[in-house]
Amino acid sequence: MKLLIHDLGENDFCSIFPKLDDSIRVISDDGTIHNCIGCFGCWIKTPASCVIHDKYSDMGELLSKCDTLIIISKCYYGGFSPFVKNVLDRSISYSHPYFVIRNGEMHHRRRYENHFDLQVTFYGGNITENEKQTAKKLIEANSINLDCNDCSVSFVESLAEMGGITI
Amino acid sequence: MKIALINGSPKVKNSASENILNTLKKLFTESNVISEYNFRTPKLDTKEIEEISKCNVIVFAFPLYIDEIPAHLKSCLYQMETYFKTNLNHDIKVYVLVNCGFYEGKQGLIALEMMENWCKKAEISWGQGIGIGGGGMLSGMASVPDGQGPKKNVWNALNILSKNVSNCISSENIFVSPNLPRFLYKIGGDAGWRQQIKSNGLRSKDLFIKK
Repeated sequence: MKLLIHDLGENDFCSIFPKLDDSIRVISDDGTIHNCIGCFGCWIKTPASCVIHDKYSDMGELLSKCDTLIIISKCYYGGFSPFVKNVLDRSISYSHPYFVIRNGEMHHRRRYENHFDLQVTFYGGNITENEKQTAKKLIEANSINLDCNDCSVSFVESLAEMGGITI
Repeated sequence: MKIALINGSPKVKNSASENILNTLKKLFTESNVISEYNFRTPKLDTKEIEEISKCNVIVFAFPLYIDEIPAHLKSCLYQMETYFKTNLNHDIKVYVLVNCGFYEGKQGLIALEMMENWCKKAEISWGQGIGIGGGGMLSGMASVPDGQGPKKNVWNALNILSKNVSNCISSENIFVSPNLPRFLYKIGGDAGWRQQIKSNGLRSKDLFIKK
């Protein structure tokens, strides 16, 4: 399964991706997401599920079933937009709380066996060179943290350029 | 000097960020006027932003979530950026304390870079950042005196930063790990999760549940 997390408005999304394969699971912003409250309940109260009951409570499980994670996000300061970051913050049940040493640094052990590819596109008209450098480091770090197969990051200035994105 | 201390943890109490800010507060002289704020949700009150905008210095403390800034705090930063760009008529210097549950404080580097990028967008000045490893351990070590044992490295870094804040000086970022071997931190951390899940009426093996 491919999982697509994005922060585009409904009209923009439909115009950029008029025909998406049914096998692609899309996570969009419908304005109802709650923010992570840092309780670690998804590890120690309801393991593998977020304790907040909204449409985004099973993100860890969705990640466990995907082979490619595609993220389309407006670039904020060299990172994800608040909505996309919120979805990722609500996804930590994908990992196990125990620590492992990966790439010489401490990270979380995996809960599931799947390894996915991470493909990220940042968009925005005023992304600075410093922000691009930070964003590249972020995706590399995310890839190590989530123990991905491979990762890629690209930048576009306008939504019109996104028509070239292959999903 | 007017200093705003902003706790960016979503936790209501007992956060590592709160613990770190409380330690830092002890290092400021009485001549500083300190105001404290908690950013737990994505929406800020305009009055709160107005108050903060009157300060000379802002110190943020927040946890590292998936290598960067927590989502709710990023929303707050965007609101502050929008306000600062059009309403600010003096400079503000920003200091950042990012803590992560992992051992290595250097894992906070990307979040510090983002905060520096935010300063540029908000047209204010970057002061200094500290990346603090082993953040989760700090709240559970209230009985350990500041500067002692595992808390020694973070205490030394906060001393340096507090002097820079008081003199409004910019300086290089500092990265600190707990003052104990990594393998001991790992053993202690893993044991802590087993203890916490048992206190919720579950078993250790439930940590491994899959959906």
